[in-house]
Amino acid sequence: MAGPEADAQYQFTGVKNYFNSYSLTGRMNCVLATYGGIALTVWYFKLNSQKTKIPAVKATQVCRGSNPGHCAC
Amino acid sequence: MNENLFAPFSTPTLMGLPIIIIIMMFPSMLLSRPNRLINNRLTSLQQWAIQMTLKQLMTMHNTKGRSWTLMLTSLILFISSTNLLGLLPYTFTPTTQLSMNLGMAIPLWAGTVILGFRHKTKKSLAHFLPQGTPNPLIPMLVLIETISLFIQPVALAIRLTANITAGHLLMHLISKAVLTLISINITTALITFTILILLTMLEFAVAMIQAYVFTLLVSLYLNDNT
Repeated sequence: MAGPEADAQYQFTGVKNYFNSYSLTGRMNCVLATYGGIALTVWYFKLNSQKTKIPAVKATQVCRGSNPGHCAC
Repeated sequence: MNENLFAPFSTPTLMGLPIIIIIMMFPSMLLSRPNRLINNRLTSLQQWAIQMTLKQLMTMHNTKGRSWTLMLTSLILFISSTNLLGLLPYTFTPTTQLSMNLGMAIPLWAGTVILGFRHKTKKSLAHFLPQGTPNPLIPMLVLIETISLFIQPVALAIRLTANITAGHLLMHLISKAVLTLISINITTALITFTILILLTMLEFAVAMIQAYVFTLLVSLYLNDNT
């Protein structure tokens, strides 16, 4: 049956055999690669935002000593 | 003129209880059920109409798609009978409610998509990328096709809601105009009344066409996925 799958013009080699916009497999792989790329991008930015979060402020210590200079506030 | 134009579209209640379920079931009570071997004229007419619609809708489907025949027949009968009954004065039309139309569109669309992914996973995924797309456009087109897939049920529901609501609103406004113009200028009132008659005829057609379009689109989504 004629069609891109059997046509000699669309016989790809190498990576293009798996990623092209003509064969059924090629199109499926392109779609999956696009979704995978988006997922990786979202995951990368989420990871980055967790790393750059400002650390929680330390609880201030109450100065109990008579000499305020000894306090580590 | 301060009347609320959208009052006819509010859910009707009887002694504080919503009766929308009864209203939705009402069209099925009007359609006769054949309970004899040889049917009467009304049942024969009904069967002829259903068969004519079925032939139009289901010819393009394969065996798997034809298992949806009963669903699609019920759908077109329900929507067309509800729309036609809504053209009677002072009746409530359930298909003017977006909630109801979304409730019909989303499960049907999701059913076709899930069927396609389950039985033809490769073809369903490949559908997101049109054949022959240039390489630099591939990611963008995949996103566009994904968005257009998810827009389908929303478009189905909004198309039906907007068409029926707009038609009813227009009839309401023009009839109000006719009543007001009768005491002002009888000739203008007669012209407006003619427009109202033509609009009513159009609304009868729209009621049946919208039912057909809704069912046909669901049928096309099914055909793509089976």
